[in-house]
Amino acid sequence: MSKVASMFHPKRLDLSGFVNTRLIRDHNKRNAFAQMEPERQALRYIIRNTSLPQRTRAQAQLQLSQMHCYTRPTQIKNRCVASGTARSVFRNFRLNRFQFRMQALAGELPGVKKASW
Amino acid sequence: MSQSRILDLVKTQCRIFSLNFNPQRLRLGNKILRQRLRGPTLAAWYPKKTVSFRDLQNTYKPLGLTTFDEAEDDREEAIQIAKLRGKGRPKKKRTAAESRSAKKKK
Amino acid sequence: MFPSTTRSLIGASKRLWAPIPIRSLSTSSQSSAPSSEKAATTPQAKPETTATPVAPPTAEQPSELPVKEWSDRLGAFGEHARLPRSVQALYLRPLRRKAEHGLPVCDLQLRSYSVQNLEFFADFAIRAAYYLNLPVSGPVPLPRITERWTVTRSNFVHKKSKENFERITLRRLIQIKDGNPQAVEAWLAFLRKHAFYGVGMKANVWENESLDAGKALDASLPEVQKTVGPHLARFGQRQDSSVKETIFDSLDSERFAEPKNL
Repeated sequence: MSKVASMFHPKRLDLSGFVNTRLIRDHNKRNAFAQMEPERQALRYIIRNTSLPQRTRAQAQLQLSQMHCYTRPTQIKNRCVASGTARSVFRNFRLNRFQFRMQALAGELPGVKKASW
Repeated sequence: MSQSRILDLVKTQCRIFSLNFNPQRLRLGNKILRQRLRGPTLAAWYPKKTVSFRDLQNTYKPLGLTTFDEAEDDREEAIQIAKLRGKGRPKKKRTAAESRSAKKKK
Repeated sequence: MFPSTTRSLIGASKRLWAPIPIRSLSTSSQSSAPSSEKAATTPQAKPETTATPVAPPTAEQPSELPVKEWSDRLGAFGEHARLPRSVQALYLRPLRRKAEHGLPVCDLQLRSYSVQNLEFFADFAIRAAYYLNLPVSGPVPLPRITERWTVTRSNFVHKKSKENFERITLRRLIQIKDGNPQAVEAWLAFLRKHAFYGVGMKANVWENESLDAGKALDASLPEVQKTVGPHLARFGQRQDSSVKETIFDSLDSERFAEPKNL
């Protein structure tokens, strides 16, 4: 298996809305992880299972560590859907704090109002 | 009740409900099998592609219908004007030699 | 007060649409509706009734036409006519069935950000339950869920200037007691069909089995086998598979087997 990240690129971009190189890269990582997750989990199971022979477990460890880095869940970073920013993104809205404020003030987020108490 | 009877009971219970019988409490890694797959939820973070104006154009063209995209027309016109003024995009350098000579000219 | 009969006929035909159910409250035959309630329920219709009676006869706009009372327009017929009981009930508090055993069958939770929508839909659900013969225990206001966020006002620096936002989710619980499971299903389907904007629904449905559930399971086994059979038939190894060895061979292979010398 070649270790090129381009093998995870789709032929045609399947995203709409704000698009950014870093955002596309993150999207590719997500897809790669979703595709390879069963395999990763199987390897993880073999590694954790102490009843299996040590040799098998070591081989599984090696295989897991040699998988492409795009298939790792730790590579995934939540990015703002409207601006591509990676910092202070609200999980509820998938928005950056500033985008959240702009959209909330514009009334585009249902139920979100200015609060004072 | 003796210990062995209880063990037998647990064993039968595990067989019936297809559970793992593990009286020695070995680490069998079963918790990984119990985890749900996170891939689909993670992959659905960014909004998927929807229908664009270009898709509409592509579907209408074979039917012999014409569509008008004013923004696209404006863009192409601006590119034409820029080309006439000599401000268009430079030619793509295909080989290493070409790109080197382009640098030297500076 | 009113001009010629033809004019009033035109006006009646124009006005037949929206305000009829509202105006009909004050039919002369139905004296049960107090006049004060009529004033409260007809905020839009009120100024129209007091419109100028001296409007020019060529004016076609219905808002300028003088409007007869609903009972007047019906004429002599209105003396004996009344709305159907189900329509009359809309102006009163929702009717309820009495629960016989009080065994909860279905919990419906409604969630919304606006009180009006939520109250309206809860009322609708209770009325629907009445006509499906389901005893219901009224909309219980559950604690509100308040979420608050504090964000910096600017997109860059100025950390000291912040802004607060909040989202308050209002909840209502409607519980169905000892209803027929099919009726409960129909009720839920009806509510989904007529789902109201901005109101979310979540239902927990409980089913009760008789004590000898095992016997019922045994009896239903042939049925289950009939439905599951075609799915299970798809499992197995392909006849034309290139790998000749069985699963046991591969399990005995060197990679899986425990090393002998350990």
